[in-house]
Amino acid sequence: MKLRPTAALGILALCATLAAPSVPVSAAGDTILFGSPVSLTGSLTKEGHLTQEGYELWKNYVNAHGGIKVGGKTYKVDIKYYDDESKNDTSAQLAERLIDQDHVNFLLGPYGSGTSFTVAQIAERKKIPMVEGNGAAEKIFNQGFRYTFGVLSPAKRYLEGILQMTKAQKPPAQTVAITAASDAFSQEVAQGAAAWAAANGMKVVYNNKYPDTATDVSSIISALKQTNPDVILNAGHLQDALLVQKGLKEQNVIARAYGYSVGPDTPDFASSLGKDANDVFGGAQWSDAVKYKGAPGFYHTAPEYAKAIDNAYHHRADYHNAESTAACLAFQYAIQKAGSLDPEKVRDALAKLDVTTFYGIIKFDSRGINLYKPMVVNQIQNGRLTTVWPAFTADGKPKYPAPPWGQR
Amino acid sequence: MHLVLQDLANGILAGGILAVVALGFSLVWGIMNIINLAHGAFVMLGAYLTYQLFASFHVDPFLSLPISFVVLFTAGYLLQRYLINWVVRAPILTTFLLTFGLSLLFVNIALIVWTGDQRGVTTAYAGANFTLAGVTIPWVKLYTLLAALVITGVMHLWLTRSKTGRAIRATSMDIGAAQLSGVRVAHIYSIVYGLGAGLAGVAGTLISMSYAINPNMGEPFLIKAFVVCVLGGLGSVQGALVGGLVYGIVEAFATQIDLYIGTQHISGSGLQDAIALAVLLIVLIVRPTGIMGKATA
Repeated sequence: MKLRPTAALGILALCATLAAPSVPVSAAGDTILFGSPVSLTGSLTKEGHLTQEGYELWKNYVNAHGGIKVGGKTYKVDIKYYDDESKNDTSAQLAERLIDQDHVNFLLGPYGSGTSFTVAQIAERKKIPMVEGNGAAEKIFNQGFRYTFGVLSPAKRYLEGILQMTKAQKPPAQTVAITAASDAFSQEVAQGAAAWAAANGMKVVYNNKYPDTATDVSSIISALKQTNPDVILNAGHLQDALLVQKGLKEQNVIARAYGYSVGPDTPDFASSLGKDANDVFGGAQWSDAVKYKGAPGFYHTAPEYAKAIDNAYHHRADYHNAESTAACLAFQYAIQKAGSLDPEKVRDALAKLDVTTFYGIIKFDSRGINLYKPMVVNQIQNGRLTTVWPAFTADGKPKYPAPPWGQR
Repeated sequence: MHLVLQDLANGILAGGILAVVALGFSLVWGIMNIINLAHGAFVMLGAYLTYQLFASFHVDPFLSLPISFVVLFTAGYLLQRYLINWVVRAPILTTFLLTFGLSLLFVNIALIVWTGDQRGVTTAYAGANFTLAGVTIPWVKLYTLLAALVITGVMHLWLTRSKTGRAIRATSMDIGAAQLSGVRVAHIYSIVYGLGAGLAGVAGTLISMSYAINPNMGEPFLIKAFVVCVLGGLGSVQGALVGGLVYGIVEAFATQIDLYIGTQHISGSGLQDAIALAVLLIVLIVRPTGIMGKATA
């Protein structure tokens, strides 16, 4: 069948009409519209969903409690999502679409450093503030961007706490082996850990990377095993953390401590590995044991927040949830302070923000990253995630050294 | 020396799995000229099926091998018979798009059914290992390799000795002549696609024991299957096996490249994909039909 040009044009026009967004729910009404491209499919699906839960919990809380007061008028909030398929370029395209077609007021970050980096460029070009809670690579914040703010501690801190903790134990750990995925975030995590170890008298005996798409890491583990390290660290994401942990057991690699940047904090780690997940350490942005007292306007404490997540999503609150909610809170307090929805004024209020929440302090340095909140170290003890470091926020003692495989 | 032997073992163990992944992909491509982009999704479905049987009914993953095969074979047969056969003679781009669409469909169905959570099949004997001459070998991976060898052996015998196997090879050589000899091409095509899906399902079962299970897990395996079957030679059982083993061993040894030039870290494991593709390139220059492939007219 051949279409006449006019008919084809007609069909195209019809499609365009159907595809055009409905009247945008913008602040012209009484709703503040946020937009977020987020990994609802692709390799970071799980983390993407946790991010979305964090956003939704905040949205529902705010709307149930009347909304956000901006200069005498109260606004409800709404969030428009698109699935970026965990792809950096797609995330940026969708951010552009959120701004140009959906006319969102502000951007909430995608999941991951790669996507946050590409979306930050769009935010910068369009001069729309973005607060993100899931891109910890400092690469994002070293570009001189003015419109991107990150509520998390930077990537290089992820594994520092585990090294500090193992060095304070008896006998103190002296050697460390590091494996890392090749993405920007994981590489920064690995570099940060290696730098900390070197500066604090620990020896890095192995440091190597593998591609994000690796389906087998057994040869890396064989090489690592030969160096006989006290501490084994992995900088990566949940999927490779599982692969590495299984591989360590398969080759019977024995160390005093095993630590991951991402993995143990997500319930999937323990549910996938069973007993083999026990005694593993994870660096975390937050845990439900942290002891902060938050400002009015949202759940004040970590346990209250954790209960709300459990009620809404029926699982234990994960730090990905908390940091995503914290990104929303940064907007909430900044918008109230600015007394305006003007992107420029809200940006300035974000730059000056200094507020304590259930998640910790939210305050940005001149680059837009939050250097003011410490990381915590969690350990899976008998299947349950326990915060063990730093001592002032811990709800348990670290189990160290780890028992051999088969006795966990 | 230990490390060399250990890497060789690691490479062979990983290669065995890749061979099974590539086998089904290679048959479908070689016999029907369909580059089956849904192959990775079938691997994923096989892994989920294994997971579900393990989690709900405590079925040992090795016992679910035949179940994965039968379920995925049936699904593949029906898909080819009632969907793909409509466009099988169309230019390759059409089947390319159709199988890509199917892949998206399956991945998203899995996302709805099992969500994006990472799942694992961790048996009581997971991680058990033995050491032989300083080389540590995990039992699960050894059994997986043996299963892979048995499966490729059975496939080879079936294709060369059975009546249906001969009909399949005849169809791939000359459709017209095969039809004149009474071969029902639509049926044969469906069997081949079913076999491809069934073998992917089996591969998924084997992979489920060492790799995290999630809706997108098939993607890296699809890409590797592509390389392995071109490396080994299209449409041949031995080709998939040899290609898989070569790929696995190359990847394992690539890890040993680990040096610094100034501050620049040259990491062979970081570059393992690039190294594997470079080997593919060299093989294609020396033997354009792949290691085991035969030149066709």
